[in-house]
Parts: sequence; C-alpha cells; structure tokens
Amino acid sequence: MARSVWKGPFVDAYVLKKAEATRESGRNEVIKIWSRRSTILPQFVGLTFGVYNGKKHIPVNVTEDMIGQKFGEYSPTRTYYGHAADKKAKRK
Amino acid sequence: MSTDIVVGTLSGAFGVHGEVRLKSFCADPAAIADYTPLTTDDGRTINQLVITGQLKGAFSVRVDGVTTKEDADALRGVKLYARREQLPSLPDDEFYHADLIGLAVHDAGGAQIGTVKDVMNNGADDLLELSVPGKSDTALLPFTRAVVPTVDLDAGRIVADPPEGWL
Repeated sequence: MARSVWKGPFVDAYVLKKAEATRESGRNEVIKIWSRRSTILPQFVGLTFGVYNGKKHIPVNVTEDMIGQKFGEYSPTRTYYGHAADKKAKRK
Repeated sequence: MSTDIVVGTLSGAFGVHGEVRLKSFCADPAAIADYTPLTTDDGRTINQLVITGQLKGAFSVRVDGVTTKEDADALRGVKLYARREQLPSLPDDEFYHADLIGLAVHDAGGAQIGTVKDVMNNGADDLLELSVPGKSDTALLPFTRAVVPTVDLDAGRIVADPPEGWL
C-alpha cells in the first residue's frame, strides 16, 4: 500500500541537517549517510551523497530525475564482476 | 591497453548435429557474431559464427569446422577473444570498460591515487572502482566530468579531482 499523501515524504532528520549544512558551506564534499530509506527531496539536487550499502558508501550525484525515489535504490548491495567485453561507460 | 578482449565462452555441444552452446558476455549478447574472426586460448581462429537459436542464458551456434557432437564437446570451456580494433569507435565521453580497466588514476597534482579495478553502475551513474595502494578496500569515484576531467587512453592515465575527504 502506498504511503498516505498527508504525511509527506519520509526523510531521516539527520539527512536534512547534513544536506543543509553542506549546501550552506558550499564545499565540494560527499555527504555520508546510512539512511537508505530516506526519500530524495528537491533540495538535494546537485549534492553528492555517499549512501551506505552495508559495506561501503556508494557516491550518488542527485539529479532531478531521482526526486521521490529512495536513496537505497542507487546503492546496490550486491556486486557482480562480469567480463568487460564490449560494455561501455558514459561520462556525464 | 589490451588488444584481445574476452567476449564469450563455449560450453559444449548442443544436440547431436555439431551445434555448440555459446555464452556471450557482450552488452547486446547477439552482437558477438559481429566480432568475427574470434580467436581462442590455443590460437585457433573462428572465422564464422552463426547463431541458430536462443537458449536459457546462452545461444546455440554453428562454428566453422565443427560438424559432430564430439568436435563440439571438445570446445567445452574455450574462451573466445575479439581484437580490440574490431569494436566500433565510440563518441566523446563514452569508453569501453576494457579500455578503462587498468588505467592509473592521478590527482591534479600528479600523485597516483590508484588504478581502475572495475567499472560499475549504481543505477544512475557509472562509477570507477579503484584499488588504492596501501588499502585493502576499494574506493569508488563517480565517472563524471567534474570528478574525472581527463581520460587519456594513449598515455594510460586518468586525472581525477575527488571530492574533499572522499578517498
């Protein structure tokens, strides 16, 4: 069942505090968070979060397309080392 | 930069008429047939590879020179290599994983940070996984222009500007 709209999106309070502090400082740093359950809010766009996957922090650059998703969706918890073959990486 | 890239592996006979089971590692699995001629570990060259059917996680293929089940079974576990030059050229800011893996990563000051161990994806961006000398764990760098401004494949080096305190 979907979350009731009247409650608004869920975000752990410390994530909001850290994001606000980083934005005010204007420093280029990765905000380490452990809260995979927090929703990505519009004020997070442009920041880089290090989202914990149970072992390490995975860097996530927040873009507009991610708003409304959870941080955990961008921090995979399993690693599969396949063959490189003809796979491509795009620099954004 | 390596010149041969593993693009698939043969895993024995499919049926009794000389067809072979092929597992492709390519992004588009059927594209492996476009990279012929392929070579094997023992130096054999496969000039023609015809995909005859789709199996679960594999293809059934006809390989030139293989006509019996015994010939096909002899190919079990054989890796197939394509020449790097056979891969199509890419636009700016796109790179083959095979080209990036193994490159040395330097910071803006010229000091070596580590080497690229693998390229992974977090669902939104590509990430470079670095093995850092003196550390048992790997480090991840977002593969963006801001963090990785220079990729010099000819010189075999990447210049990175990681965020403060990240590495």
